[in-house]
Amino acid sequence: MIETRNLCFSYLNSDGKQKSENPQLNRVNLKISAGEFVLVCGPTGSGKSTFLKTLNGLAPSFTGGVITGELLIDGRNLIGSEPYEFSHLVGYVNQQPEGAFVADIVLDEIVYGAEQLAVNKEKIAKDVDRLSKLMGLDMLLDKPVATLSGGQQQRVAIAAALIAGAKVLLLDEPTSALDLQGASEVLNLLRQLSQEEGVTVLLAEHRISRVIGVVDSVIVVHGDGSVTQGKPAEQFNDSRFAPPIIELGQKLGWKPLAITNQEANSLWRQAPAKYSEKLVNPPGELALKTSALEVRFGSVIAVQPTELNLYGNQITALMGENGSGKTSLCWAIQGSGPRYEGTVNTLSGDPKELSVQDRIGVVTMVPQRASDLLFLHSLADELQESDIFAKVPSGTTATLFQKLAGRIDTSTHPRDLSAGQQLALVLSLQLVKNAPVLILDEPTRGLDYSAKRALAAQLNALRSSDRCVLLATHDIEFVAMVADRVLVLKEGQIVADTIPVNVLGAGCELASQISEITNEPGLFTIEQVTN
Amino acid sequence: MTAQTNNHLHFLSASRTHPGAWWISGICLALSASLSSNLWVLLSISALAMLVVWVCREDAPWSKSIKFYLLLGSIVVTLRVIFRIVFNLADSKTDAFLNLPSISINLGFGNSFHLLGNVSNLSIQAALVDGCRLAAIILSIGMANSLANPRKLLRATPGALYEIATAISIAINLAPQIISSLKQVRRARGLRGHSKGTKSLTGIVIPVLEDAIEQSMQLAASMSARGFGRKGKRTRFQMLVARLSTFLTLTLLTVGIALLLFSPTDQFIYLAVILSGLVFAGITLKVSSTKSTRTNFIVQRWQLADAVVIVTGGLILFSAFTGVLA
Repeated sequence: MIETRNLCFSYLNSDGKQKSENPQLNRVNLKISAGEFVLVCGPTGSGKSTFLKTLNGLAPSFTGGVITGELLIDGRNLIGSEPYEFSHLVGYVNQQPEGAFVADIVLDEIVYGAEQLAVNKEKIAKDVDRLSKLMGLDMLLDKPVATLSGGQQQRVAIAAALIAGAKVLLLDEPTSALDLQGASEVLNLLRQLSQEEGVTVLLAEHRISRVIGVVDSVIVVHGDGSVTQGKPAEQFNDSRFAPPIIELGQKLGWKPLAITNQEANSLWRQAPAKYSEKLVNPPGELALKTSALEVRFGSVIAVQPTELNLYGNQITALMGENGSGKTSLCWAIQGSGPRYEGTVNTLSGDPKELSVQDRIGVVTMVPQRASDLLFLHSLADELQESDIFAKVPSGTTATLFQKLAGRIDTSTHPRDLSAGQQLALVLSLQLVKNAPVLILDEPTRGLDYSAKRALAAQLNALRSSDRCVLLATHDIEFVAMVADRVLVLKEGQIVADTIPVNVLGAGCELASQISEITNEPGLFTIEQVTN
Repeated sequence: MTAQTNNHLHFLSASRTHPGAWWISGICLALSASLSSNLWVLLSISALAMLVVWVCREDAPWSKSIKFYLLLGSIVVTLRVIFRIVFNLADSKTDAFLNLPSISINLGFGNSFHLLGNVSNLSIQAALVDGCRLAAIILSIGMANSLANPRKLLRATPGALYEIATAISIAINLAPQIISSLKQVRRARGLRGHSKGTKSLTGIVIPVLEDAIEQSMQLAASMSARGFGRKGKRTRFQMLVARLSTFLTLTLLTVGIALLLFSPTDQFIYLAVILSGLVFAGITLKVSSTKSTRTNFIVQRWQLADAVVIVTGGLILFSAFTGVLA
C-alpha cells in the first residue's frame, strides 16, 4: 500500500536557503501492506510527526523543508504533491481534533472531505451511514462537535478522514489527550478498521503499553534520520521508549519478548519472579490545606466543596477522567483560577491573597499547555530570564534544563523545541523558583518513557528536599512510578484518597500494566521486581 | 451550551433559517434607513433590528457581535451631535436649544469661523437624524451578521467565491479564539512572574499570536489534507465568457451608480442599468463557479420562515421607497 524508496526529508537552515545538515529522514525504505496496523514510535522529538506528515504531503507543504526520493501510495508516486492530491488515498488525524474541525455540526464535519472531492450525493449518503454506524456516531450526527467528549471528537475526526474513501489512515497521537476509556474506544476502532475494513493504519503514539499488543508491526523513527521497521518484539532494544511490558521481559530475560498481556501473563506464571513491597514516603509537614474549596462555572459545579491536606515529602497524584475537575482544582489551589467559595492555607497564607510575584514563591504550577509560558526568542534568553525571575545565580536554570532534556543548542527558538523539550524547559523555569508546593497539570503528555523517567527522577529529588508535589494526570504508568498517595476525582468530588497500590494494583479499574500482567497483590511497578 | 439547550428553537430561530435570508433582509432594512429622514422611522428600524436579534439568535459566538454594533451605533450618534454643537453654524433667528458662548477663530486668511454659539433646535434635530440613520444602517447589517451562521453561509456561497468565503469564515472564527487564548495566556504568564518593560507585553502577545497562527495553520492543514484546494479544468470558451461577463458587470454597475449620483431623477434608467449589471454579476458567478468541483451534500433549503424574513424586509424597503415612510 505504501512504499518509500530512499525517502529523505530535511528542514531548511535558519537562513531559509540551505538544507540542514541533519536530515529528519535519511534514505528511508519501507514497505507497508494493505490492512496493516503499524505503530510509529521513537524518542521525544525524533520526528514521528514529520514522518507521518511526509506520507500525505503536509511535509513539506505546511512545514517547509525539502523532500526527495520516491513515495508510492497505492502504486502512484506522489512525492512532492500537495496534500489535497493525497486526500482520496490518505486520511490524517492529529492530536487535537477540535483545532482541525472545519464545520460545527458532526454531519457537516464528516462529509467535508467527500464534498471537496465531488463524490456524488448518493455515495456520500451511503458512506456516512456506514461510517457513522461503525464509529458509533449515528446518534450524534446533528450535534455540535464542540459538545462532544474528547473520545467522540476523535471518532468524528477518524470518520471525516475516511469519508472520501481513503485506504490509509495516519494518526498523530490521537489518544494523548483522552482518558483511559476514550483512548481504548479509539484503539478498538482502529483495530477494527484495519482487520475488517482493510484500512492501513499508521499510529504514532507515546503511550505504547496498550497499543503494542494489537499492532502488526512497529516503525521506529530513531531521531538520527534512520527509520526501521519490524515486528513489535524486535523493535524495542532502545529502552528510551520501551513500555513496561518490554522492560519486564528484558529484566527477566524472556526470549522472545512478550508483547501482549496474555503472553506475558503465561510467561510470568511459568516462572514468577520475586518482588518487593513498594514503599511510599510518609507525609512530611502539612504544606497546604483547603477548606470548603468549590469551583463553579455558571450553574455547573466543577469541583464540589473539598477538604484536602497536602504534605511535604510526598508526591500526590490527582487522577480522574477528562472533565472530572482536575484542572479546575489545580488552578483554584494555585490561586489565580476561579473559586466559588473556600480558602487555601499555606505557610505564607492563601495564595489567592498574594501578589503574582509573591505567589510564585509559594505555589508554582506547570499548566497543561506549557508553551504558554514561553515568549522569548531563544532558549538562552528564556533560561537567563528565568534566573533573574527566581533570583538565582546565572546558569542555574540551564543546568537543571540540561539534566531534564539533555544538551540542546541554546540558540534554538523555544517554539522549535519538541513538546517534550518545551515541557522540560517550562519545568526547569518553574522548579528553579524553589516554592514549597509544586503543581503539575498533565506533565507527561508527549513524553517518551526515558523523558518520563528523567521527570520522575527530578520529582523524587524534589520530594527528598521536603517539597509537596501535586500531579494531575491520567498517565497510570507515571503515577505508578512516582506517587506516594493517589486522589481520584469523579464529577468534581474526591472519591478515593489512598496509597497507590489500592488504585493501580491488580484488579483495580486503573490497574497498571505490570498489575495486569502479573496479577500479584501489591506488585504494580517494574522497580519492585527483583530477579 | 448549545443552541438546542437555549430554547430558541422556534419558527424563526436563526439555527433553522437560511443565513442568506438574514442578509437580504438586513440589506433591505439598511437601504430603507438610508432613504428615510424621519427620526421615528429610523429609531423603529434600529429597534426592530435589535428585537429580531434578541428573539431569533442562537447561542453562538457571532450572535454576541450585536453588542459591538450597538456600541458603534451609539458612538456615531453621539459624535454626530457633538460635532454639530462644536462646529455650529450660529443661527439666532430660530429658537435655541443650547445657548453657548461663541468662540471665533481667525486663522489670518479668509473669513473667521465660529465654534459653539447658539445651537438651534433644528440643527440638533438634523444631526440626530443623520446620526440615527447611520446607526440604523449599522444595526441592520449587524443584525444580519449576528444571525447568519458564517459556516452555513459558506455552504451557500457560489463556487467562485468559495476561497474568499472560506477565508472570511476562518477569520470570523478566529476572533473568539483569540479572546479565549488571551485569557489563558495571561493566567499562564502569572505563573512565571512579571517581566519588566516591553517583555511584559511580548510575554502576552507572542504566545497569543503564535496560538492564533498555529490554530489557523492546523485548520488549513486539516482542510488541505481533506481535499480543499482541488480544482477542476475550465474550457477556453468558459474562460472567455467569464472574462467578458466580468467586464460587463463592472461597467454596468459603475455607469449605473454614476447615473444614480449625478441624475437621480431618471429613476428608470439607473434602475435598469444597475439591474442588468446585477444580472451579469449572476452570470459571472455561475460561469466562474464551474471550475470548482465540489458536492454540496447538505443543501440548506429555502423555507417558509426564510420567505417571511425576506418579505418583511422587502415590504419595509418598498414602503420606504414609495415614500410611505418619508
